[in-house]
Amino acid sequence: MVAPIYIIAVALGLAFLLGLLKSSSTNLGSLLMLAGLAFIAFVSGQWLYEFLINGRATEMIFTAGFKPPFSINLRMGMQEALLTTMINAAGLLSGLYLIDTLKKTGINSMTVLLVFVMSLNVIVMTRDIFNLFVFLEISSIATAGLVLLSSKGNAFQAGMKYLIATGIISGLFLIGIIFSYLYAGSLNIDELNAAHIMDIKGGAIAIFIIYVSVILELKPFPANGWGIDVYTAAKPGFSALISSGTATAGLYVAYKLLPLGGETWLPYFTIIGAITFIGSNLMGTRQQNPNRLLGYSSISQVGLLLMILGLSNQLGDNTLFIAFSILISHYAAKAGLFWLSGIVKSQNLEGWAVLRKQPFMLFLFGTFIFALIGFPPFPSFFGKWQLIMELATQENYLWMTLILTGSFIEAIYLFKWLGFAIKLDVPSNIVMKFEWNKYLPVYLMALTLYVIGFYVSPMVEGGAFINYIPLLFVLALFALDFLPVFVKNTISIAGIIYYMVDLFSQLENDLMRQIFAVIFLGGAVLTLMAGYNKKGTRAGFYPMALMMFAGLTGIIEANSMLEFFFSWEIMTAGSYFLIIRGKRSMPHGYSYMLFSIGGAYALLFGFALAYASGLDTTIAALGHITQLTTLAYTLLAVGFMTKTASLGLHIWLPGAHGEAESDVSPMVSAILLKAGVFGLMLLFLYMGTGTEGGDKLLYVLGWVGALTTLVGNLGAVFQEDAKRLLAYSSIGQLGYILFAVSIMTQLGWLAGFTYTINHFMFKAILFLVIGGIVVKLGTHNMYEMGGMIKKMPFSFIAVLISIIVIGGIPPLSGFAGKWLFYHAIIQKGWYFQGAVIFFAGIIAFLYLFKLIHSVFLGQLKDNHRNMKEISPWILIPSYLLIIGIMIFSAFPQKILQPIGEMLSVYFPESLHWEGTKAYTSLGYWDGTTIMIVVMTAFILLLGWLVLMSKKIKKVEQFNIVYAAERPFRPETTHVSYNIYAGYKKAVGFLVTPVVEIFWDSMSALLFDFAGWLRRIYSGNMQNYALHVVLFIVVFYLIALGGL
Amino acid sequence: MDYSITKFLWTLLGLFIVLNWGMLMSSTMRRIGARVSGRFGIPWYQPWIDLTKLYSLKSQVSHGAMFFLGPVFRLMGGVGIFLFLPIIYGSDHWSNYSFSGDLILILYFQFFGMLGMALGAGEGGHPHSAIGISRGLSQFTTIEVPMTLAVISLAIQYQTLSISDIVAAQQGGFTTWTLWTNPLATAAGMLSLLGAFGHSPFNLVKAPNEIPIGPPTEYHGVFLGVLRTNGAILHVAEAALFMNLFFGGATNWVELIVKTFLIYFWSVFVGTVFPRFRIEQSVRWFLKVPTIIGIIAIIIFL
Repeated sequence: MVAPIYIIAVALGLAFLLGLLKSSSTNLGSLLMLAGLAFIAFVSGQWLYEFLINGRATEMIFTAGFKPPFSINLRMGMQEALLTTMINAAGLLSGLYLIDTLKKTGINSMTVLLVFVMSLNVIVMTRDIFNLFVFLEISSIATAGLVLLSSKGNAFQAGMKYLIATGIISGLFLIGIIFSYLYAGSLNIDELNAAHIMDIKGGAIAIFIIYVSVILELKPFPANGWGIDVYTAAKPGFSALISSGTATAGLYVAYKLLPLGGETWLPYFTIIGAITFIGSNLMGTRQQNPNRLLGYSSISQVGLLLMILGLSNQLGDNTLFIAFSILISHYAAKAGLFWLSGIVKSQNLEGWAVLRKQPFMLFLFGTFIFALIGFPPFPSFFGKWQLIMELATQENYLWMTLILTGSFIEAIYLFKWLGFAIKLDVPSNIVMKFEWNKYLPVYLMALTLYVIGFYVSPMVEGGAFINYIPLLFVLALFALDFLPVFVKNTISIAGIIYYMVDLFSQLENDLMRQIFAVIFLGGAVLTLMAGYNKKGTRAGFYPMALMMFAGLTGIIEANSMLEFFFSWEIMTAGSYFLIIRGKRSMPHGYSYMLFSIGGAYALLFGFALAYASGLDTTIAALGHITQLTTLAYTLLAVGFMTKTASLGLHIWLPGAHGEAESDVSPMVSAILLKAGVFGLMLLFLYMGTGTEGGDKLLYVLGWVGALTTLVGNLGAVFQEDAKRLLAYSSIGQLGYILFAVSIMTQLGWLAGFTYTINHFMFKAILFLVIGGIVVKLGTHNMYEMGGMIKKMPFSFIAVLISIIVIGGIPPLSGFAGKWLFYHAIIQKGWYFQGAVIFFAGIIAFLYLFKLIHSVFLGQLKDNHRNMKEISPWILIPSYLLIIGIMIFSAFPQKILQPIGEMLSVYFPESLHWEGTKAYTSLGYWDGTTIMIVVMTAFILLLGWLVLMSKKIKKVEQFNIVYAAERPFRPETTHVSYNIYAGYKKAVGFLVTPVVEIFWDSMSALLFDFAGWLRRIYSGNMQNYALHVVLFIVVFYLIALGGL
Repeated sequence: MDYSITKFLWTLLGLFIVLNWGMLMSSTMRRIGARVSGRFGIPWYQPWIDLTKLYSLKSQVSHGAMFFLGPVFRLMGGVGIFLFLPIIYGSDHWSNYSFSGDLILILYFQFFGMLGMALGAGEGGHPHSAIGISRGLSQFTTIEVPMTLAVISLAIQYQTLSISDIVAAQQGGFTTWTLWTNPLATAAGMLSLLGAFGHSPFNLVKAPNEIPIGPPTEYHGVFLGVLRTNGAILHVAEAALFMNLFFGGATNWVELIVKTFLIYFWSVFVGTVFPRFRIEQSVRWFLKVPTIIGIIAIIIFL
């Protein structure tokens, strides 16, 4: 074992040695520096290994053989080993990354870097407060020096600001040390901590001064302008080290000194942390410069960690786990992002689109962003989960809300940035050159995130059961991404079928999950089949699609809330990437993500309340929520409703579904939306009826469902874009389902299931076929289509059958839904909601006719005369679904009777079957008989017409009975554009986009507020110094001045 | 569930009666309309002449398969409503195939013919057809609002959606008719009927007497014959539906003829008095008074 003291000795020794080298021997110098950094990384890594694997005891080191207070002493324990390893790894990688710059600036800068990393090590290890002060000073000076590596004009200024500010802070810190030495008679931190200075008169001042300087070192909002400028001005290679290394060390200082003041001081850490977390994230929303944005993001993460430290008395034993998992995510992601920034070399966020030239780097960029937000499988996901759960058990709702709000604001700017990178035009003036010393650090940090994520997951309760197999399959598809579509499609379909068979054997007695498994995985197979008509490699599509399906499968399989939430987030991530693939999808993918994250946080809050109610981690905990019961159920419902796109939360859907690729639209519409339905059903089953709050919630949701249907259907009527029309139709259909399940009777749920199954089938058909036509004709606008029935008869039949189902026209299965609805509504007594639902149902005919007429009927356009039928790979899955519709229509009892029996466990029986005939207390319906009667009569009547018909002459397109004129242009003869003008005049006011206006003004408010707040960052050092002083004064007044 | 040939033949006979009564009723109504406007009007047998002529016309042009199927769908719509309606109360022979489903089935089967017709006419490619359909559908959405409210009100009142049971509940004499027991629902339903029958002021869909417009623009000959056949059946079947819901149903054919005549006459009566609405006017109209009446018809049961 190499003693930790060698970290200091070797680094200092090398630093002196470097000074002796000739200024021209930069190669030797850089080699020595890297060797030194590698050595200290090895030392700390070796200790970490000892602690982790061999369970070694903490080591205390006393220099010069004296005991404290006469010696400097260091401690090497598990925490120190871990943090120094992180710092040294970042140091080594930064050294590697900066090697060219360092060679250019000379040997002195290498010395400074070595000393900087060494100083951070000592800051972590030391147990002597004066020693701490000294090395804080060293690190500040080194930082200021390293900022000068950058040739940017503002680098010198930034370095000076940093020096001045840290100078003020250090001076203050020194005063604090003097006071505390006075009271405690020791400089040893452990002895200081044990001395209860707080109880001594005047001790509070000492503590205050020490704390305020420690906190100021962490750059709290808003007294942090000097810190932000450093991030912006420094070389990204070095900013990475500040963000990952300095922040880590600084936080550990705060942690070490926490016992000094005891519990009374903790709330100040929490409050300042919260203000920093939210304030910095708000600032982040306004940033255009990637480095400055990352600076704000870094500071916000430090704020979050400061909060966690402040809450440590409530988080108990979990504090370290939570802090570590969030810290490591921040550390790796931020270092990776800064390094990437140095590779991309763009001064604005838009320039990052250049990453698309190197898709793997784009993938890593996505990895870092998702890790920062706290998506699975990254460590921060587990940390945040545990954090929220613990806070809920302490009933600490304010902090929960603030943490989730801050995280949401962070997502706002990070996903905007990611969207830019994925969608904007690749700038031609930016060149990304491969340099292994710059790329390797980025790779390693991304790898760290995945590996640590995997290892921390079992540390969370319930985390050990997370099923990583589907994710491994996704990973395998990433590796195979270079293969052609045909191969990957086949592998994907085969994998899903295999998994589905396996899944069914586990779901033997659970019909509800079986139904959703068929929708999710059966739907996956059918929609993937359409992919066979694509050519090339379709880079990135398969891993993302499979990721979404893996998430969907996961929510079916989940036994614990953690597994559910894990899968839910995986599904969100996959679907985000699928949605944003569409040509014009950037804003829509973005709003989808924001709504999804907002929804996910609502879910997280709800799950936490459920957990806190009985410390039960299984999903069954939803059944006995006692903490803030109504709020919990409301939040969970809202969370699920972001996926079902219910009224108020629906604005992301039309764009997201309408602009997605032709086979992605059916995936996200017919399949993905059902995840929200599954969640709602699960929630309502556990919630049950009879609780006052729950019943009120259901009543409200019933109305929300009904109005969603109205708004969705009415919205569809006035669309000119075929896919947007279908998207609005989905909103409407999901409104029906929300309404149906809110009824909470057997009939209501049967209607809900019928709609779920039907919507899955017909919306998949419609999006597949219409999507195929849109691609083929090269336009989304229905008025530019027309007459396609002659060219695409199979498509026409598929669409026709689908719209008969949507319309609820007997004898097809849509009618089953309508019939069940009427009976359910009258039994339940929800007459007016019901009337709205039926009104909306008839409005559906308007858009259905518009769709089928504008595309298939009317006049064929000249430029479409040579069109052929769409690809059989689209028609085959569509016709398989049509077979499904026909079976469901002719034998509804075969499917609905078992569902009814399943539901009779939860609800009193309100429907019974006699053969194929269903009875309720109100009436009856026999789907099979209706099918027979209608089919027979139809054939007879058709026979009658054929019998009566003479020689039928087929006529040309324009052979129509026009008076005194002869139409010759399809464009002027095809009635489609604004076809419901009269209707718009009468009821158009109902489609005023009130909800869009609401969300737009909300976001404008947020951005304007952030813009106003940003003015404090004037760039002027005097102002920044004033901020620091004001911060101290305000903190003093609040903490000790009785304010 | 009786699928026998006898049942089928009885139903066919019923259909035949309804068809002929429908034709007679329409010629009568046209005569009444003519007399009101000071004309003599057509002979009572004119519809038979028209139908015979249309079915025997030799020329027949088609715009495609859906165009051909449109009238079949339309006729199926009318015939279907007849098939699922218990036309004479208490009679096994004339209960048709109403065992397939209740009132909801009939409400939704109305769309079968409408949709098929719309698609057939759409393939015809005539702009007037499409315009007529868009107007028809627009108007229909709001016609159905008071009707739905009336049906819900009836369902609350009678606690059933089975038409036979609704009629059965009205069998205690004149005063037990829904007309008297639930006048508001009846009012909402009868106002909705004005739209459903498509007479003035709600006849912009076809806009008769002017340029040819509306869904049937392109249809002629045998096709038009089929549409006329449907028209006759549909009017009686729909009137019979209202009769069953609001006016005590019918226990024999005479009662049916009298009641359906009066119900149909109601729409003709209004039509001869009021001029035609523009489409946005009629859409708004149904959402005002009839809807409010319908809402009150439900509120009184709460």
